[in-house]
Amino acid sequence: MDFSKILLVLKREYFTRAKSKSFILSTILTPLVLIGFGAFMVWIMTSETETDKSVGVYDQTGVLVENLIALDSVRYSNVSDLPIDTVKAMVLREDLDAYLLLEEKHIETNENAELIYGGSGGLAFSSSVRGDIRDVIQEERLSRANVSDEVKELFARRPGLDSRKLTAEGEAEDDKAGFMSGVGFVLGLLIFIGLFGYGAVLMRSVIEEKTNRIVEVITSSLKPIELLIGKVAGVCLLGFTQFTVWAVMYIGISMAAVPIAGVLMQDQISEMADTQDIEQVAAEAGFDPASLEVLSIDPMIFVYFFLFFVLGFFMYAALFAAVGSAVDSEQDTQQFMPILMVPLMGAYILNTRIMVDPDSTLAVVASMFPLTSPINMITRIATTDVPVWQIGASLALLVASFFGVMWVSAKIYRVGILMYGKKASFGDFAKWIRQS
Amino acid sequence: MTIIHVENIRKSFGKNKAVDDVSFDVEKGRIFGLLGPNGAGKTTTIRMINNILGPDEGSITINGQIASPLTQKMIGYMPEERGLYKKMKVEEQLLYLTQLKGMKTKAAKEAIHYWLDRFDASDWTKKEVGELSKGMSQKIQFIATIAHDPDIYIFDEPFSGLDPINSDMLKDIIIELKNNGKTILFSTHRMEQVEQMCDDICLFNKGKAVLQGKLREVKASFGKNTINLEFDGDGSFLDKLEGVRLNNRSTNFAEIRVLNGQNMQDILKLAMEHAEIHKFERIEPSLNEIFISTVGEDNLKAQRLEEAP
Repeated sequence: MDFSKILLVLKREYFTRAKSKSFILSTILTPLVLIGFGAFMVWIMTSETETDKSVGVYDQTGVLVENLIALDSVRYSNVSDLPIDTVKAMVLREDLDAYLLLEEKHIETNENAELIYGGSGGLAFSSSVRGDIRDVIQEERLSRANVSDEVKELFARRPGLDSRKLTAEGEAEDDKAGFMSGVGFVLGLLIFIGLFGYGAVLMRSVIEEKTNRIVEVITSSLKPIELLIGKVAGVCLLGFTQFTVWAVMYIGISMAAVPIAGVLMQDQISEMADTQDIEQVAAEAGFDPASLEVLSIDPMIFVYFFLFFVLGFFMYAALFAAVGSAVDSEQDTQQFMPILMVPLMGAYILNTRIMVDPDSTLAVVASMFPLTSPINMITRIATTDVPVWQIGASLALLVASFFGVMWVSAKIYRVGILMYGKKASFGDFAKWIRQS
Repeated sequence: MTIIHVENIRKSFGKNKAVDDVSFDVEKGRIFGLLGPNGAGKTTTIRMINNILGPDEGSITINGQIASPLTQKMIGYMPEERGLYKKMKVEEQLLYLTQLKGMKTKAAKEAIHYWLDRFDASDWTKKEVGELSKGMSQKIQFIATIAHDPDIYIFDEPFSGLDPINSDMLKDIIIELKNNGKTILFSTHRMEQVEQMCDDICLFNKGKAVLQGKLREVKASFGKNTINLEFDGDGSFLDKLEGVRLNNRSTNFAEIRVLNGQNMQDILKLAMEHAEIHKFERIEPSLNEIFISTVGEDNLKAQRLEEAP
């Protein structure tokens, strides 16, 4: 192995790509697109999806309808005086979206009230009506039972739960499980994007050398394995460059955001400062120093992120390169992509479970299995306390399978890069591995 | 002095024996031609000499050393499938390729500029290869092959796809390199180039080296059994000849290879009866003729059919 040659390949791979317009553009635009996408998602989640629907209440008890109208006068109207057939006709004519049939038995027994709707219902609509009915019926039941105001108040109160975590020092600290599982998911997502995105970059680079017909000139100067390692390392470094730029951008934006937010709030604060204590104002504005404490992330997580990204990337990159070497054009990669897609997508889907249940057997297995561990283990590490032996075993398995995958891929690569005009099959792969 | 020594090499791909027990020696300071139809094993042999592939059996030594990354530096190789990075600038690209051959940056730059000047290509240094015309990028390819000043030059089908100007230029370079004491090995299936340039030849067929030696000696060993005939008049009498093979036939010229030792004077008599003879000359067979008679006409015909689109 000649490291000076590997370094030459690495430098070429890195600099020609880092200087390219597409790299610079994607480095700048990706965060903007992500921010835009995030904002869009928030907009979708918060936007009022519920349209105002009118519900006629056909109330035979005579007590519930008033309370319902008091609860939501826009939605509910009293149709108890009309014949039921007229009400049905109104729903069919779409004067009403639905009608509610309420009887004495709904208060006295556990029988469910009925909501009958025309056109379309919608889950959000029926569940919100259900909530209203529950409140109203419960209130009526309580008042009929003649309970004291104290008991009524007890029913009105909902018990909550605050969670805190016990640390080695024996002190309970503020729980940040919610935040950390979010961080874990994002880190897993970043590794997923990195493995997939940069793997594809490497694959295209291998195909490019083949279609440009330069690869034979190159292999008359160095070993295919040296070319492969140099290329993988070059693209890996490219990935780090992009992640670093994004991290710097993120930190820069958030650092800029605080003073800007401060300026915006300045007026409010100075107004209120006349009458109130500054500290209190700050607290009300959300500047609680403790809240920053909750958001801090253990730096070791980034060390693990680095380790799992590099090892995972080298393993997947070797596979991507093997696929690239076996084809003449990007279109021809289709038949081989499932080998790469299935474990990567699988790990990503598993991650949505692992972030909420990081100690389940499924999570432990997925974070050990080398093809999914780069993505799933980092999520677990961020979300829960993973035993050191599990991290160690996961890393060891990853390193071992990296060498295995590299060994097989290098054999395919060696033969593949010199094959022109022939579509390779899985059978050819097996032949090439045996041959070289 | 032997500079490339190939001994009993074999290479199979699955059941296909691409190279089957081939041995030959290339002498220092000479031009060595590797001939043969497509698929005869020339490229596989060349790749093994370049240490791109390893032989299944046998050995290859370059300058007395077993083929290895070290011997790769002694060779400048231009493969049949040529190409460069399209998105890379000319100078960067040449620098990269020569550095891979072990040259230091400074020496590499000097060599690159020397050759760019010689090819009137100094203006292109900052251009991307994708912007260059085909002829221009062929020149860059030559420079990439020779800039690190190796002792041995290997060209696989160097003249295929070259425009006439570059073809002549490459011929001149090869002659110049030879005059500077360098060794050149090239493969081709075009015989006239071999006759013009090669000192030694090795003829491949179906993975075997079927004929080799100094070009002069190979030709002499076939004897003066060929007739160069120039005539005026009706050439249809040529079709009546038996036991001959007609090469290079045109309206007033024919190269007649006489088989089974029949009397050449009879052919002359027949010719005189039908046409006015301008020239009748007994010569050594052309390399093309040697090629055909060694490889076999049927074999070649099959080859041509395969090549036809």
